Amino acid sequence: MEEEKKIEILFPEFCNLAGDSSNMRYLRKCMPKAEFIETSFDEEMTFTKENVDLIYLGPMTESRQEKVIEKLKPYTDTIKQKIKENVTFLFTGNALEIMGKYIENEDGSRIEGLGIFDIYSKRDMLNRHNSLFKGLFEDIEIVGFKSQFSMSYGNNENCYFAKVEHGIGMNPKSQLEGIYDHHFIGTYVIGPILILNPLFTKRVIEMMGVDTPYLAFAQETMDAYKQRLKEIH
Amino acid sequence: MKKNLRFYVAFYLAKLARWTLKVLKRNASYFPGKLAITICPDFLGRIDKPKTIIGVTGTNGKTTVCNILEEALRKNGYELIDNHLGSNVNSGIASSLIEEADNRGRQKKEIAVFELDERSAVKIYPYLVPTYLVCTNLFRDSLRRNAHTEFIFNILNKSIPKETKLILNGDDLLVSNLAKENERVYFGIGRLETDEDTCHNIVQDISICPNCSSKLEWEFVRYNHIGRAHCSKCDFCSPQIDYEVTQIDFEQKNMTIRNNGIEETYDIMNDNIINIYNVLTVISVLKELGMTKEQIEKGLEGQKIVDTRYSEEMINGIKVVTHLAKGLNPIACSRVFDYVRKQPGNKAVIMILDNLHDAATSSENTAWQYDTDYEFLNDDSIKQILIAGARYLDGLVRLEIADVDKDKIIAKRKELELVQDLDLEGIDKVFILHDLHSTELRDRIKEQVREKIEKERK
Ligand SMILES: [Zn+2]
Repeated sequence: MEEEKKIEILFPEFCNLAGDSSNMRYLRKCMPKAEFIETSFDEEMTFTKENVDLIYLGPMTESRQEKVIEKLKPYTDTIKQKIKENVTFLFTGNALEIMGKYIENEDGSRIEGLGIFDIYSKRDMLNRHNSLFKGLFEDIEIVGFKSQFSMSYGNNENCYFAKVEHGIGMNPKSQLEGIYDHHFIGTYVIGPILILNPLFTKRVIEMMGVDTPYLAFAQETMDAYKQRLKEIH
Repeated sequence: MKKNLRFYVAFYLAKLARWTLKVLKRNASYFPGKLAITICPDFLGRIDKPKTIIGVTGTNGKTTVCNILEEALRKNGYELIDNHLGSNVNSGIASSLIEEADNRGRQKKEIAVFELDERSAVKIYPYLVPTYLVCTNLFRDSLRRNAHTEFIFNILNKSIPKETKLILNGDDLLVSNLAKENERVYFGIGRLETDEDTCHNIVQDISICPNCSSKLEWEFVRYNHIGRAHCSKCDFCSPQIDYEVTQIDFEQKNMTIRNNGIEETYDIMNDNIINIYNVLTVISVLKELGMTKEQIEKGLEGQKIVDTRYSEEMINGIKVVTHLAKGLNPIACSRVFDYVRKQPGNKAVIMILDNLHDAATSSENTAWQYDTDYEFLNDDSIKQILIAGARYLDGLVRLEIADVDKDKIIAKRKELELVQDLDLEGIDKVFILHDLHSTELRDRIKEQVREKIEKERK
């Protein structure tokens, strides 16, 4: 039942780059009865104390990534356990990198990540990557944008989020984008990914255990989705 | 840096290129500089420069501040170099200096005003040390190019030369923390009636303390992170303001500025808060240059915001306003939306904000729309919103997510088919909001609006 669902938005005061906060604004409209908890950086995280159905973390600046890692590190095992228990996670943009082994700066120095997934990331602050993305998540085509300084490497062959149809995967040589493990979704596709991808949004709501998901502005979002599918090829 | 052979080769080839382009009636504001820097990478360091260089940087307001400042200086008899017609990156600056230099590479003018792109800081400041550097504000801008404010802050912070005196917006907590070791003055506007205690924008790029990550306590928020605040735990806070607006009289269209305990009153030119900041910025620079109130007044007299950015015209009782709203730039657009909703009367708003280049070649990254306060358009006084362009379907969704009543929205692919659906019933003002590159479309739409008004409102 939708009314029992609890969604935790982590650190919305700064994990909100690239229009990403809109994902939760849209989800609120799709799940008007669900409870949305906005946890700011100086607060205790709800998922560490009680069950939640979705944990959302948006993109952030490079310096904030380090702070977020510090904050999450003591709960690494809890997060692993939640993933095993099929709690839904949506980590967008460089939030995904926090889950890897480390993030490497240009000078070779490394920031240790949570090490939950077998990937690592490299920053290149002089070269920003921008591209359009189209890829297949299960049977759903995902469209969206990438705009980032860093790339991820490592093995996501058995746990990728989407197979690339246009654009790049986790890095320019990869055809596999992001991470999808149990119900953990991590992707470099930034911005209003849920608004741009109504079919995917439906699937995410289903993952949370809602049998008949409702989509706000279903017709309008589908029209825009179909148009973008045509444009990105 | 001294002039060497390589410099002279670059200089004379660039002069030749400039001359050729002029003969061919082509734009010579970028290529000569580009050529010179390609031949001689430290060209900017070697070419003669005026004694006083005023640099203007920041996300929004650079161009307007430069325009007003240059005009004010010229009216006071200064001859100056600017990059007004050229680009604001290193090649544009080089082109301007080449243009002004005599055939032996010497400059005759004593002062330069350069608009400086924030991202190009690393390519400019090692070679060109501004005497004064103005920073208007730092906001989210093009996601592709500028990423995020911390990225731009770090670039500026690392590149600003130690000798430069900074003239900074003290109401912007990012800007006011730039290059802490440098000599500086701050300008700002004290609390206004319209300011709030909390932020009502989607984006606020400094909400926790950069030193200790604690929550900031806001004395007031004007918009986004513009306002005054202090950290709840440490001593991080907004600075003491040197040029502070203590009062704005919107009816008399003037403001009172306090500096060193002395209050002076100046005209505000335009009642939009963004433009009041722009004028305040210019006055602060002129004061730093040692000008008197009379000289400043003389400089500002008769100036207005240029038509390409703002225009208004009464047509048979309806005010038609065109207003630049730079697509991809969330804060600039939000400010315009806020301005529109706060204008008296019933309004219809026509928007053409899509990036024409992206529309022609690919699919635009529309993430910026969700950092932009479209919610401000959800206002009882706005009776109709008409959007068109390649992203009209996205625009419709965006407005619906802002809870704008669907009956109020007209969304079409073709820009020139919008006005036929404009409903003038009970409307006092029609706003045409357009992107920087859509001025031609704007003019055609304005003509359509004019025809419609003249036909329906006699
Ligand atoms: Zn602090």
